[in-house]
Formats: sequence, structure tokens, C-alpha cells
Amino acid sequence: MLPLKLLSRDWRGGELALIATALILAVSSVTAIAHFSDRLTRAMHIQSQSFLAAERVLKSSREVRAEWLHKADELGLRQARTVTFASMLAAGDEFQFASVKAVSDGYPLVGHLEMRQTVDGESRVVQQGPQPGHVWLEARLLPLMQLDIGDQLQLGDRSFTVSGIIDHEPDRGANLFSMGARLMMHSDDLAATNILQPGSRVDYRYLFAGDDKALENYVKWLRPQLTLHEHITDLEEGQPRVARTLDRAESFLFLAASLAVLLASVAVGLAARRYGLRHANYVAVMKSLGAGKNKILGIYIGQMTALAFIATAVGLAIGSLIQAQAVNLLAGFFPVTPPPSGLRPLLVGLATGLACVIGFALPPLFRLAQTDPMQTLRQDWSNPDKREWFGLIPGPLSMLLLIWWLSGSMAITLALLTGLGLLVAGAAAINRLLVRGRLAALGGSWRIALGSLQRRAGFNTLLIAAFGTGLLAMLAMFYARTALIDEWKMQLPENAPNHFLVNIAPYELDGVKQKIAGKNLEGTEFYPMVRGRLIAVNGTPVTERDEKDGAIRRELNLSWTDTLPADNKIVAGDWWNENLKEGVSVEVEVAARLGLSLGDVLRFSIGGLETEATVTSLRTLDWNSMRPNFFMLFAPGSLDSFPATYIQSFYLPPADKLFVNELVREFPSVSIIELDKILENIRDTIGQVAIAVESVLALMLVAGVLVLIAGVRASIAERLQEAAVIRTLGGRRQLLVRSLMIEFGLLGIAAGLLAAFGTEATLAVLTQRVFDMPFHFHPGLWLLGPLVGALLVGTAGTLACRSAVSQPPLKVLRELA
Amino acid sequence: MSVMLQAENLHHRVTTSEGQLTLLNDISLQLQAGQSLAITGASGSGKSTLLGLLAGLDRPSDGRIWLAGEEITAMDEEQRAALRARCVGFVFQTFQLLPGLTARENVMLPSELRGERNAGRRAQEFLERVGLGHRLHHYPRQLSGGEQQRVAIARAFCSIADNDVSSSNGILFADEPTGSLDAHNGEKVIDLLFNLNAETGTTLVLVTHEQRLAARCGAHLRMDAGEITAGDQPGSLAEVSA
Repeated sequence: MLPLKLLSRDWRGGELALIATALILAVSSVTAIAHFSDRLTRAMHIQSQSFLAAERVLKSSREVRAEWLHKADELGLRQARTVTFASMLAAGDEFQFASVKAVSDGYPLVGHLEMRQTVDGESRVVQQGPQPGHVWLEARLLPLMQLDIGDQLQLGDRSFTVSGIIDHEPDRGANLFSMGARLMMHSDDLAATNILQPGSRVDYRYLFAGDDKALENYVKWLRPQLTLHEHITDLEEGQPRVARTLDRAESFLFLAASLAVLLASVAVGLAARRYGLRHANYVAVMKSLGAGKNKILGIYIGQMTALAFIATAVGLAIGSLIQAQAVNLLAGFFPVTPPPSGLRPLLVGLATGLACVIGFALPPLFRLAQTDPMQTLRQDWSNPDKREWFGLIPGPLSMLLLIWWLSGSMAITLALLTGLGLLVAGAAAINRLLVRGRLAALGGSWRIALGSLQRRAGFNTLLIAAFGTGLLAMLAMFYARTALIDEWKMQLPENAPNHFLVNIAPYELDGVKQKIAGKNLEGTEFYPMVRGRLIAVNGTPVTERDEKDGAIRRELNLSWTDTLPADNKIVAGDWWNENLKEGVSVEVEVAARLGLSLGDVLRFSIGGLETEATVTSLRTLDWNSMRPNFFMLFAPGSLDSFPATYIQSFYLPPADKLFVNELVREFPSVSIIELDKILENIRDTIGQVAIAVESVLALMLVAGVLVLIAGVRASIAERLQEAAVIRTLGGRRQLLVRSLMIEFGLLGIAAGLLAAFGTEATLAVLTQRVFDMPFHFHPGLWLLGPLVGALLVGTAGTLACRSAVSQPPLKVLRELA
Repeated sequence: MSVMLQAENLHHRVTTSEGQLTLLNDISLQLQAGQSLAITGASGSGKSTLLGLLAGLDRPSDGRIWLAGEEITAMDEEQRAALRARCVGFVFQTFQLLPGLTARENVMLPSELRGERNAGRRAQEFLERVGLGHRLHHYPRQLSGGEQQRVAIARAFCSIADNDVSSSNGILFADEPTGSLDAHNGEKVIDLLFNLNAETGTTLVLVTHEQRLAARCGAHLRMDAGEITAGDQPGSLAEVSA
């Protein structure tokens, strides 16, 4: 029981409070981030899976074999079905082409529908589609067809009651280019309409959800049986844009958690080191009183175990409370309530506590047990142990093991290990420059500050590395978050085109242009388009292998223009010019997949006729631009002999939505693809992910500040004593304050410079390897790093030492004695 | 009367950046139980080093030491610590009270390290005997220098006293016990030390600069440059008698 008795006495003495605080903050910040990340990741997955309205989707152009669905039943999967096709609706004298979606009971399996029962009513969340005999319509169909809620509408041979307006449909983006306004009906009514006949163009989707393992087994069982007509998909394939956003966000959250672990452990390490140093005389006294090394170890390990147990428990509780509070505060921003997290965050917190104690808190105690009892007689508390650096090994090692466990990636773990090594080496180099500098020649306060830095040269290397790690984590996370959010915003700018007009006949072109211009809408230019298939390359027919490429299997949209479209970039060859007036420009990725290069001759079949063109350039383009993009762009005039239609995209503000009806009425043969709802859904998800990233950044800042405080406190006692002696000798208060500001400011600048270097290197790896984004150099960082370092470390250090200048020196010396 | 402390041909050398340094050179001495010995000498003469070796805090480079009948130079650190716990007490120049513990808790510490149950009662009795019964729950920073040294003396006697606080088979080592005190407080502490020594029969070895204090001891050794330069048999086995 002696360790516990001593623990409570030590606690009163304040010695253990610092280490316990660091440990509690370490465990709580990591637990909070782990909880938060876990819950957000789950929420994001639910939100993102709602893009499919399921966890897996089997797509087919015809009904699938019944045994496939029985197998899903056997595995305990939940199922639903949607059937989507285009059809004409009739209501009185009004006829309108619409995109019909018949949904079974249970739809949607993931996510929800939002609908209104009156035109002016409140939108409400529902978990199932219309009942048999009823249909729900997209709002703009009502005025277009002179309909009201409760009216009858004819679809094929069956009449339906219009009983709702659809405001949100989770998987609206599933068929990106479905045309016409939506009508939703129950799939039981499908047969009675007699619309679907053999050869009808129909999109069947079978939705599945359930246990991960069962889903995995089902997909494994099903995949070998699929033909070219069927395809099973998950989010990654179904919504690559959202999947990529999620991947990056998860990488960010994981990195944040790892860095929080690292920061927190540095804080514990610094506090434990200080504890060890401060207790050297305790141990020497106890040894002279007859306590052997094993007894001392028993006492301190017992104490630390008890402390670790209490601090970890408190840390886990605080971490859980923080995340619960954070989720509550941010509840309004989440389209989906984040579900409770599992046990993993608690395990991560527990492992962090253990790793901090084993790696950082115990090594100083083992060294402490070696304390020479003769020190009580020599009155020398300096640490003669040359193995101090040896004691630094278990900490980083335990952290790396923890990060390895968290990430499951040896590459990331080794990258961190290398980074840490470089950081310490950099700290030693900067420290060397600092203490050898000639700044002391600047006079009074500078001489005191530089003298202090020189006396603690060894420890300062550790301190600069610790401050550098703290600043690096904060800066790297700040810049990574900025890069991610900017990239996400760029993916979908506010006024990105959200409607496509296709099939504009040449005779309608001027009228449509006038209509769009009359409404002052922002739109792209109108591109001519003919449909054709690539049938041969350099005289060789495209093989079956090539035909598996989606771009080749189907008909391609071929276009021509004399101006290189915005967002396109020539990466090989030349764009049309005085000397180059014929040929075809090919998108670079499809060229790579098909093995095409400059000079290859491509043969196309267009409406039964054939034409050839030579590849004269390769282009990159931005698929996120929401503009018409083409794999193949011909030179102007090359396709003049083929009948063309035109395509254009434009941005329509939500308030002007009924403009679509005007277009439909005026240009009935023009098809309008409405992407506004899909983009809105994607924006919601990206917004949610951005909030998660911002919140985690705030937690990281707290962990970073903790390291700074622990670092300052670890070196404060000696500084207090020196300051008190200088005051006793007549040193003025201002002189001391200035010297403290200079000393900590210089340490902060050194750490900031190091952090700027480390952040730049981290961002280079992060953006290119993890986030898959281009890397840009950050000149501002090299100014910001040292500035933030000087401000934070300088302020924290000066404030922490304020008692040395505000209290009578005798009191300070007495308290330190 | 039995031999409490005996040292034979002690040599102690340390290696520094400037080469090997001899701290003690061929020291021998013998001290009977219940006697008192003063070791004096200039700073750096090796007296504190000798005190530490005699108490088993360190091992000499050469030579042998017997404490309470056991050869401590043949023991490992754990065994020496166990012996110290049984029969050695210390008083330091700078008191070495643990700042996080109250006066009572500081005095209890040796008994607690030995796993004794009545540590609190014994500590209180010793504190009362040094006149600090009213300061039991004060922290070192709340005590004057003289009071702190009295707590340290109570702790030292507590570590060597038998359950019956009026008798002891132990030995008390004091390193400059009045070095941090003014004359008045120094005098009070010395009186206390010798009174308890006499009352309990404890053997006393103290290092001091003060001739006045050395004069109160039964025997006196003077050291210079690591050697005994004055005493009953300087330079060889010092048979110190009261």
C-alpha cells in the first residue's frame, strides 16, 4: 500500500499532477478524436451509402434470376428493387415525357425519401415509397401537366392518384443521365401499366443491405455468375467522387488521430522527464534511509500504475464526453445523426494511455531507480547519466507500434519514424547554430537569454524537437485541411452547371441560345455532337479486350471545335493551328487504356458510314467541371457530312427551376438532364466531411498547445531559480522579462523553422501519396512557422515564468529549495 | 562493548575527464557501539566521501568495511540498503526533507519503507521529543531551517530506533548538521543530537567544520587530501575510544 500512500502524498505536492494532467489530456484528446472520427466515418458511410439507397446494388438491363435473390434471402440480407425507365404520362390533354421509377417495399434500404403531401406543405422524411395505386411526382411536373395533389394521372394502361411531391430521393444520382422529371410508383403496379415490353430500355436495380460479412460472401458468390448485362457495385464504383472524398477525409482523420497520439505522448514524455529529475533527490534520500533499488522501483512503478489507471479512466471519460458534446453541438450540420461508436475508440484511448506510460513515463523511473544515494551528500542534482538518450528509445518505439496498429500501414509508420529522426537531427543542428551564434553581443537581456540557452543545450534539442512536433502537427493539419477543403470546393463550385441540354437540333440552336441568353444564365458553349463507335486502330479492328473498356463498348459522343475547351490541356502533340487542320484529339487516359499514341489512325463507324482520323494530340480534361467533355474532339469540318445535334450545360439557380418547364414546352424534342438534386446531395456530404475535418483540426490545436505547455513546464524550475538569483543580485524586472521572451522566442523560432520544413515535407507526401492531389510549395509557411512558434512558445514560456518576476525572489528560492 | 564500525585500508578513486582522481587514500578506523566520532577537514578533503562509504551509500575502490558486525563491502546494493534500513540514520546539511510530505510523513517514511505498522505513532513520538509536536502537519516550506533540521533528526532516529524509542543499536551519520543553520539554531540542534545519542545509546559519526562541535564528540579525526592527518593513530587503523 506504500505506493498508494506515497501517490496521494505526491499528488498533494503537485509533482504528479503535471504528469497526470498530461496523461489525462493525452488519453482524452486521442479518445475524443478516435470517437469523433469513428462516429463521423460511420455517419459519412451511412450518408454516402444513401447515394445508392443500399450497401450493394446489382444493376441489370433485365430481370435477374430468381435464385440470385433467394441466395440473398438465405444470407439474411435485406432487399429492395427499383425499375427505372422513360415513359409518357397523360393527364387530360397534357402529355409529358418522364423518368419513371417503380420501387418495391423496403426502398430505400439506406437513407430516406423526403416528400410533401401538399404543394405548400412541409417536406417530411419517409422510409418508403408510394403505396400501390398512388404516384409521387417531382414538383415541376405539377404545373407542367396542370395537375394538383389528388388528381388522376395515366401511365400506360393504369390510372394513378397523385398523392405526393418528391423533394429528395437518395439514389437520384444512381442513373446520372436519366432524363425527364421523376415519377415514383410502387413496383406492384408495374405489370398493370403494360408499359414494359421485351426490348424496352429499362434499368433494373436490386438493392441489398445487411451484415458486412454476409454482403461480402454474397458478392463473392454472385460475381462469377454475372454476364455482361449485370454488374454489382458498391459506393466506390457507384459514386467515385463521393468515395474519393470519403477516402481522403478518413485519411485525414486517421492522420489527425496519429498525430494527436504523437503530440500527447511527447507531452507525457516531457512531464515524466521532469518528474524523474525532480524526484532524484527523493530517491537518493529514500535510498540513504534504506530503500533498495527494487523497493524504489516497486514504489514508483506501483505509483505510476495507479496513476495510469486513474488518469486513463478519467481520460476515457472526458474524451467520450467531449466527443458527445461536439456531436451535439454540430448535430444541426449533419444530415445523418452520427451513430454511436464501437469499442475501438476506447481501446485506442486505453492503448494510448498504456503506450504513454510504458514508453514515456516508465523509462525515467527506471533511470530514477539508478540514482546514486551519494548525491544527498554531494548536493549535486545534475544528471550525470549519459544514457539519457537511450531512455528516449522506448517512447517513440511504443508510439510507432501504436500508430502501426492504428494504421495497419508499415509505410506510414516508417515514414513517421524517419520524420521523427529527421526532426530530432534538425533540432540538434538548429540548436547548435543557436548556441554558437553571436547574438550575445547584442547586450543585457540577450546575454542572459543566450547564456541560459547554452547551459541547457542538450535539453534544448529535445525541447526544440518537442515544440517542433507540436507546431508541425498543427501546421500540417491546418494546411492539409485547407488543401482538402479547397479541393472539395473546386470539385463542385457553387455555380457549377447543373443542367444539361442534349439533342438540340441545328434548327433549334438559335432559339435555345436566345432562350438561355434571355434568362441571363451562365452556360458553356454549344458543342456539336455525333454518335459513333471506334471500330479500328491503324487498320486493326478493336478487339474484344478493348471492347471491355466502357468508352469503346458503347457509342461515343464525337464532337469538334476550333477552340480548346476550358479545363482541357494538351499534353502531347498540338491543337489545331494554321498548319494542322485535320485529325482527332484524344483524352489522355482513354488513349492510355487503348494503347493509342500520336500518329495512330482511328476508324469510326457513324450511322453506318465510316470515317478515319489521325491522332494529332492528347488532352487531359476535368471530369468534375460539369461541362460537356469528350473523349474524341475532331478538327472543325471533319464531321460536317454527318448529322449532328448540339449539347450544352448551364447553371440554373434553384429559384428559377420552373424555367425547365418553359424549355420543355418550347423545345419538346430537346432533352434536359437535371443534375441539381444530385449535386445538392453530394454537396451535403462534402459539407459534412468538411465540418468533421475542421472539428478535428480544433482538437489537434488543443493537443499541440498541450505539448507547448508541457515543454515549457519541463524546463521551468531551473529558469525560475536563475531568474530569482538575478533579481536578488539587482537585475531589473524588465531585463528578466525581456530575456525570458528572447529565450523562449528563439526556441519558438527554431522549432517553427523546423516545423515549416517538416510540414512542407509532410504535405508533399500527404497530398501526393495519401490525398492523391498535386503538391504546391507554401512560401507563406516559412514565415508563419517561425512567427507562430515565436508567439506561442514565447508567450507560454514568459507567462509560465511570471512568478519569477512577480514574486519576491526569496519566496521563489524558498519554494524551489 | 562491541565494534559498531570498522574500516580497513580504504581507497577510493574516480575517473574524471582529467584522468583518475584519488579521493581517499588508505583509511582505517574502528568505532565501538555508542561512541561518537567527528570527522573534520577542509572542503574537498574527502570527509563526506568517507562518510558515504562508511554508511554503505557507495563502495570503495579498495578496502573493507564492517557495519554492525557485517561486511558491507561484500554486499550488493540491495543488501546494503537492507542493512541501512535496519540500523543507519542520516542527517544532512540541507535537511533533505521531501517537500511534498508533512513533518510527520517525512519522519514516518523510514518506518514505512520497512513496512512497520505503527509508523505514525512512532513519528509523532520522535517529533514530540524534538519539540515539534505542534508542527506535525506542516510542510517543510512552512518550517524554519532549525525546525527542518529537527524534523530531519527525528527522522534519523526513527530509522534506527527499536520499537522502544528509548534504545537503539543503530548508527547515525550526520553530514554538516549545522552547516545551514545560524549559531543559535545550530546550538539547539547539536544539543538535541547529543542528548538523543546519549539517551538511546546510538553510535554517532559526524562530519563538521566546527571545532566546537567536534570537541563534543568522543573521538576526532582530521582529514586532508583524502588521508587522515590527525587522530589517535593517523594514517593507519584508528582505534577510536570514548
